[in-house]
Amino acid sequence: MIAQRVGTTALRRVAAKPNAFFTADVARMGFLAGSLHKATQTRLVATQKLTPADAHDILNKQRLQRPVSPHLDVYDKQQTWFSGSVWHRFTGMGFSGGLYVFATAYLAAPLLGWHLESASIAAAVGALPLAVKGGLKFIVAWPFVYHCVNGVRHLCFDMAVGFKRKTIVQMSWYIWGASLVSGLYLAFFL
Amino acid sequence: MASIARSALLRQAASVPKLPAATHAIARSSALRQSIANTVRASAFHTTSRRNLLPPLPQHVDGTVNDAAPIPETSPAHGSYHWTFDRLVSAGLVPLTLAPFAAGSLNPTMDAVLCGLILIHSHTGFQNIIIDYLPTRRVPRTRKAVMWGLNVATVIVGLALYEFETTDVGVTEAIKRVWTA
Repeated sequence: MIAQRVGTTALRRVAAKPNAFFTADVARMGFLAGSLHKATQTRLVATQKLTPADAHDILNKQRLQRPVSPHLDVYDKQQTWFSGSVWHRFTGMGFSGGLYVFATAYLAAPLLGWHLESASIAAAVGALPLAVKGGLKFIVAWPFVYHCVNGVRHLCFDMAVGFKRKTIVQMSWYIWGASLVSGLYLAFFL
Repeated sequence: MASIARSALLRQAASVPKLPAATHAIARSSALRQSIANTVRASAFHTTSRRNLLPPLPQHVDGTVNDAAPIPETSPAHGSYHWTFDRLVSAGLVPLTLAPFAAGSLNPTMDAVLCGLILIHSHTGFQNIIIDYLPTRRVPRTRKAVMWGLNVATVIVGLALYEFETTDVGVTEAIKRVWTA
C-alpha cells in the first residue's frame, strides 16, 4: 500500500462527489447531488435579478418588434379607398367644414367689410362663365348626393342589412356611378 | 465540439457522387452552393420587403401585466343613447333634405328645423372624427382642446345660421337663388 496512491484515490473520490468542503455554492451542490445518477440530462441556467420595471422594459421592447397589421398604405386599395366609408367621411367633412367656414365668415363679414349676403353671392356666381358655374356646382352637388345615398347605405348597415360581401362591393360601385350621374345632372341641368 | 459540426458537412460531401480527384474542390463547393440556395429559397417566400410603415409608438405598461384591461366608465350621454340619437338625426335628415327639391323651398319653420338638424349632425360627425384620430391615451390635452374648440365653433355656426335665417332669406332659399343665378 503506497501512501501516495491511497491519498490520491481518496481525494479523487471526494472531489468527484459534490462536497460541502470543496463547493462554495451549497444550493447548487444540493441540486447536483440528486442528479448524479439520473437518466435525464439536467442543465443549470444562469439567473439574474429583475425588478418588475425591468420586466416591463423587456416587454415594451418586444412589443415594438411585433408585426404591424395591414392598413391604409398597403391594404387592398379598392376596398379601403373606394368602398365607401372613407368617402362618406371625406364628403361629410367637406360639407360641414365648408358650412362652418362660411358661417364664421358670414358673422365676421360686417367687421371686415366683406359682403356675404345671399344677394351678393348670387350676383357673383351669376357673373361667372357657364363652364365654371357648372364645375363649381358639380363640386358641391356630387358630395351632397354621395353623402346622402351612402348615408342611407350606412343606416341599412346599422340595421344589419346588406352585409354580404358581394352586396357591399356591388353597392359601392352603384353608389359611385349614381352619385356622379346625379351630380352632373344637378350641376348642369337644374 | 467542432468535430460535431464538421461531421454534417463531411456527410454532405460524402453523399455527393464520387468524382476524379481533380474535381474534389468543385464537389465541395457545390454542396456549399446547395446550402446557400436553400437559404435563398427560404427568403424568397417573403414576397414583400418589410417597410416600416406606421411603426408602433413607444409602449408603456400601466400597472402590471396581470391587471384587467380598463373599461370605459358608463355615461348616459356618451353611450348607446348617443349612438341611437345620432342615427335618428341622420334618418330624419333624409326626408328633410329631399323635401326642398320636391317643394321648391321650405317655410321658415321647416328651414329652421333643417338647419338645427344639420348643425347637430355636423357636430356629432366632427366628434366622431376627433375621437378616431386623437385618442385620449395618446394625446390627452390636444384631444380636450380640440373638443372644446369644436364646441365653440358649433355655437358660432349656430349664431350665424340664426342670423342668416332672420336677416337674410334662409338656407334653402339662398341655395336656390345661387343655383339658378
